[in-house]
Amino acid sequence: MAMVKSPKKQVNLFYSLDCEDLAQNVALQSPHIVLQNIKWRSFADGFPNIYINNAEELRGQHVAFLASFSSPAHVFEQLSVIYALPRLFVASFTLVLPFFPTGSFERMEEEGDVATAFTLARMLSNIPISRGGPTSLVIYDIHALQERFYFGDEVLPLFETGIPLLKQRLSQLPDADNVVIAFPDDGAWKRFHKLFDNFSLVVCTKVREGDKRIVRLKEGNVSGHHVVIVDDLVQSGGTLIECQKVLAANGAAKVSAYVTHGVFPNQSWERFTHKKDALENAFAYFWITDSCPLTVKAVANTAPFEVLSLAGSIANALQI
Amino acid sequence: MAATPPPPSFSLHSNKPSHSHSLLRLSSNENRTFFSFNSNLRCEIKGFESHRGWTIERVSDMSKDSANSHITNPSSPFLSVSSVTSASQFPTKNAKRVVLFYCPETKVLAEKIAAQTDSIELRNISWGKFPDGFPNIFIPNAQGIRGMHVAFLASFSSPAVIFEQIPVIYALPKLFIASFTLVLPFFPTGTSERMEDEGDIATAFTLARLLSNIPISRGGPTSLVTFDIHALQERFYFGDNILPCFESGIPLLKRRLQDLPDSDNISIAFPDDGAWKRFHKQLQHFPTIVCAKVREGDQRMVRIKEGDPRGRHIVIVDDLVQSGGTLIECQKVLAAHGATKISAYVTHGIFPNKSWARFGHDNGGHPESAFTYFWITDSCPLTVRDVMNRPPFEILSLASSISASLQI
Repeated sequence: MAMVKSPKKQVNLFYSLDCEDLAQNVALQSPHIVLQNIKWRSFADGFPNIYINNAEELRGQHVAFLASFSSPAHVFEQLSVIYALPRLFVASFTLVLPFFPTGSFERMEEEGDVATAFTLARMLSNIPISRGGPTSLVIYDIHALQERFYFGDEVLPLFETGIPLLKQRLSQLPDADNVVIAFPDDGAWKRFHKLFDNFSLVVCTKVREGDKRIVRLKEGNVSGHHVVIVDDLVQSGGTLIECQKVLAANGAAKVSAYVTHGVFPNQSWERFTHKKDALENAFAYFWITDSCPLTVKAVANTAPFEVLSLAGSIANALQI
Repeated sequence: MAATPPPPSFSLHSNKPSHSHSLLRLSSNENRTFFSFNSNLRCEIKGFESHRGWTIERVSDMSKDSANSHITNPSSPFLSVSSVTSASQFPTKNAKRVVLFYCPETKVLAEKIAAQTDSIELRNISWGKFPDGFPNIFIPNAQGIRGMHVAFLASFSSPAVIFEQIPVIYALPKLFIASFTLVLPFFPTGTSERMEDEGDIATAFTLARLLSNIPISRGGPTSLVTFDIHALQERFYFGDNILPCFESGIPLLKRRLQDLPDSDNISIAFPDDGAWKRFHKQLQHFPTIVCAKVREGDQRMVRIKEGDPRGRHIVIVDDLVQSGGTLIECQKVLAAHGATKISAYVTHGIFPNKSWARFGHDNGGHPESAFTYFWITDSCPLTVRDVMNRPPFEILSLASSISASLQI
């Protein structure tokens, strides 16, 4: 007997200012998602002066907030909204945080190291419980698998991935049958290799020679192939560039890259752009998602960058 | 009758065979009278075979031993009593040793606090940043503070620095310390903290939630020391997992007023009822003036509601100052009603966008245009740095109050 699908719930979606474009994309995916406004103002002393429009009309409604913690300053103002929304007699509250920010150095190598990501997880684990139950928290490609255990039981983390978007995009390439996937290190392989069952896989590794750190091809064959380097995020991009050089030296016909989160502090994406005077541009494609809105604005319409939107995936997550 | 004395001597005779045996027998006799009677009867028969004189000596030895034990028993309680007496006679409570961490903004105040006493030791934190702007923080010698009382001197001057200091505040209590105290001299809040509409978001409440969720140290919940919190009801923002200790800067003001040459001519003015409610009990020895904001049409004017400023040196008292517009309006009204001098005190000199620049010094006698003194505490370090050595401003340091709070 065919299972009857449960009727789609209507979701009121609030968003931070950075995420306005993504929020509009999400709302376009479904008539059941309605955008709502927040007034983001500041007092003279720099502290947030925030107002949620139509607060009383949220009673009994499903509510979501699309957040972007792009800097420490933005955390506090959005946290004020995140802590307030569940208290408005809402039917449920979902926090969509496409990129869970973390410093690249999150190892507790010594007692006294302060783990910023863990602090943020604590703050989110303390979101007040709405009348409809604990907050659902939607995160894409969290940086390290063990970070999912940072969250307490007062919040329901839902860990999603942007890899399906990449696979769909790869299937559209003219040389789709010549693509192999390369991981810059074992960590990325552990994270993603199961999602690429139908692809040949290549693993690079960083080795030390004296005080140099060199990237080497650890396993796999790239000769004649279009190689796509896959990782969860990029910061300055040094590792990706080193990988690209090694892969090209080992006979790759083309090299592209995908990261879910294009962090690119201090405009570091500029080193990847196609220059007109270059004999051969290094990367054929560089795919990112729209989890980091500031980067999306900066690299729009700039080759080799292409943005794969998480909007469809987020719209689906809001129906869970 | 005559038969009674002989049995003891006979039983003593029977004790001769072995020393341990005789000891056991004697204790046995003492413990069980009825049974020992039977035992004596049996010994009577054996008694004829033993030597009488030796057993008598044994008896005298044992009686001496028991006498000695009796003597020593009373002396033990005497000794313990005297030791208790000596303990109560010399009560010396040692000051608690506190390790004080601080953030870059509060370094100057932290050094002043440590200068108050030998019990407070300053410790550094390494404040770094990753390229993406997020904090990269390290607490050196973290194992060295195990078992110690630890405090952190915070300053939340902007939303950005809150998220830099919260990771440290959440990390310190987890390092096996004896107790954790968070010193937050100024609990920041927007001006408009009234929930006039559902949909208004009280950021002070958000901050109180963040602090109420500080992990509990092995020594118990965090103590939170804050000065002159903006609105009295804000003390109820904190959950039971934190122990707020609400202090005030007003004692510093009172001490300073006593030092003035015209200390007997001081009146206190409150800019509104709220400030009066907050502070009037602490300042009840001074004549008081209460101002009020009234609307005439679309204008908002300050008026004197009660009290008389004529001929007096008026000190306007409030918990904080932002742009300072209200203080200036009060100053004009008070001068128009005959005040000879006007000064101001606020615990927290926030002064966003350098608004302190509008406060000039009266140079000894123009109350209608300027202030004689403007006292602030060092709860807002950025302002302190800006207005240092700029009359009419004068800094009253919270260092000694904080030092005392750390001993609670």
